[in-house]
Amino acid sequence: MFFHIVLERNMQLHPRHFGRDLREKLVAKLMKDVEGTCSGRHGFVVAITGIENVGKGLIRDGTGFVTFPVKYQCVVFRPFKGEILEAVVSMVNKMGFFAEAGPVQIFVSNHLIPDDMEFQSGDMPNYTTSDGSVKIQKDSEVRLKIIGTRVDATEIFCIGTIKDDFLGVISDPGTTS
Amino acid sequence: MSLVDGSPVNSSSSDDFAAFLDAELDSTSDTIPQEEEEEEEEEKESDDDDTNSLVQRTKRRKISVLDGSEALNGSTSHMDQIEVLDGSEELNGSTSHIDKIENFMYKLCNACELLCSETSVKEDICTHPGFIGGMCIKCGEKIDNQSGVAFGYIHKDLRLANDEIVRLRDRDLKNLLRHRKLYLVLDLDHTLLNSTRFSDITQDEGYLMNPDDPMQDTLKGSLFKLPFMNMVTKLRPFVHTFLKEASNLFEMYIYTMGERAYALEMANLLDPGRVYFNSRIIAQGDCTQRHQKGLDVVLGQESAVLILDDTEQVWVKHKDNLISMERYHFFASSCKQFGYKAKSLSELRSDESDADGALATVLNVLKQVHSMFFDRELGEDFAGRDARQMLRAVRSEVLKGCKIVFSRVFPTKFQAENHHLWMLAERLGATCSTEVDSSVTHVISTDIGTEKSRWAIQENKFLIEPRWLEAANFLWQRQPEERFPVKEVKLKPLTNTQ
Repeated sequence: MFFHIVLERNMQLHPRHFGRDLREKLVAKLMKDVEGTCSGRHGFVVAITGIENVGKGLIRDGTGFVTFPVKYQCVVFRPFKGEILEAVVSMVNKMGFFAEAGPVQIFVSNHLIPDDMEFQSGDMPNYTTSDGSVKIQKDSEVRLKIIGTRVDATEIFCIGTIKDDFLGVISDPGTTS
Repeated sequence: MSLVDGSPVNSSSSDDFAAFLDAELDSTSDTIPQEEEEEEEEEKESDDDDTNSLVQRTKRRKISVLDGSEALNGSTSHMDQIEVLDGSEELNGSTSHIDKIENFMYKLCNACELLCSETSVKEDICTHPGFIGGMCIKCGEKIDNQSGVAFGYIHKDLRLANDEIVRLRDRDLKNLLRHRKLYLVLDLDHTLLNSTRFSDITQDEGYLMNPDDPMQDTLKGSLFKLPFMNMVTKLRPFVHTFLKEASNLFEMYIYTMGERAYALEMANLLDPGRVYFNSRIIAQGDCTQRHQKGLDVVLGQESAVLILDDTEQVWVKHKDNLISMERYHFFASSCKQFGYKAKSLSELRSDESDADGALATVLNVLKQVHSMFFDRELGEDFAGRDARQMLRAVRSEVLKGCKIVFSRVFPTKFQAENHHLWMLAERLGATCSTEVDSSVTHVISTDIGTEKSRWAIQENKFLIEPRWLEAANFLWQRQPEERFPVKEVKLKPLTNTQ
């Protein structure tokens, strides 16, 4: 799920940036530092949407660096157990398949793929129903349900399932909402 | 039905639903408990009047939306100043506007899913077939124990329990046999290619680095410089044809003692289209035992696996699956490493033969084993067959009908039957003997002056050096004996042995 939240961060700025563009430099550095990172509490920081306020800078002794407390608004993405996500399949093997929903990697074990879908090896490995009407292979889009999440310092990893009603390959992209 | 703490309204509504289901199910059976009968009646009453039921349903929805938002707030309250992107104001307002309820249906669904998944986990005990990053791949539960075999080459944190490996192998084998394929495990260095560091290139090999050298044309497509790894790699002649043809008969793995980064780079050279190996690349870090290769990390039934490797010692447990390859030494450093004094192929500006080199020979063997395995005359049941037996059968044809006596090959007090040459000869289908008699066809000797050697010359039997056996082993064919005559031993070593 996406959230729009306010976060705070202490930014250290080199004295060479002091001047007219100080604020821009600060924001640029903030974006570089924060966007794309991940924390267990908030999930992935997708984008910074605005700066709430920049606090008073504190000059550090000896180095000349200044620390500013910056409050900023950002969009974060955090998957939850039980959430339904749409994801793109990135790898298929005999164990199941891996899919990606933006920065989140999801593994769907073959225990959690409907029993009528069988693994087919070859140069384009895939899971196919016996009548061949449904096929999951690399770059397929699937709708899946998260049943477990694990958050590391730099990545979020999830276990998903497509063994449930209305889950699986999204055949018609127009119906996705 | 167990009530979940913190969401009494929601669980009671799902309780309602469960009761309704129960009632529906029980209505077909004979014995109906008093309570549920009443409930059933209630449901029927509400069903009678459409508008009435609609009102009831919307009421229920309202309640559960309230609850759902509560649950949502509860689950996210630990985050600083959270604002659900759709708007928390809408969320608060929704209780008074029925038309907005639909916007939150998906959240409701989520809440329900949460409930369902929790209860289902509690209901059926998961066997935890494997773990990925500490989570069960079947139920998503977090478990800390690090049991099972690591399959780092599929995913860095993947571990599988033994039962699951057996299940996967079983399932995969059936699938594979349907496609008339077997497994083939390939080594990289000295089997499919040869690599050397920039710093180890000798003066005679300098032309390899010179883009203007006339040899570059012939080497195009098989010699690769990898500056970021400080390495030069030469692919073995015939390797592309080999992989192409073998991929029709086998599901192929790369299994190397090299590092992962190196293995991936080499796989890229061998298989730029990524059609042969997919993610089946096993490197040093994936082995479960140090300095040993094992089929335990290969998701293939041992009875259907063939291995190509130049180093026999690393496959202690799987000797029956192994096809030994003659080492491919292209670079001088590689020859030096294995103690060869002669000039390397690169220094001589030559290469292995393309059409009848080691890979072409072994491809024929692989084809032979494959066609024996899938021989229709033996019936349609392939599952009970063993590729190792087929390999043994093919191998035992090589020196069939030969009877071999060894002379001055084994150390004096060595049990002859345990010597690797003796065992090799028997594997190749020859019979071995310690004494000469008229049925003996070959005498393998290191010295022309021994009693048995003299007997061989006298009786007009083949007198050959031990290399003949090794050549037959690598080339899968009885070699012309004239090419392996026993040379006269110089006097000096003789005096040493006495």
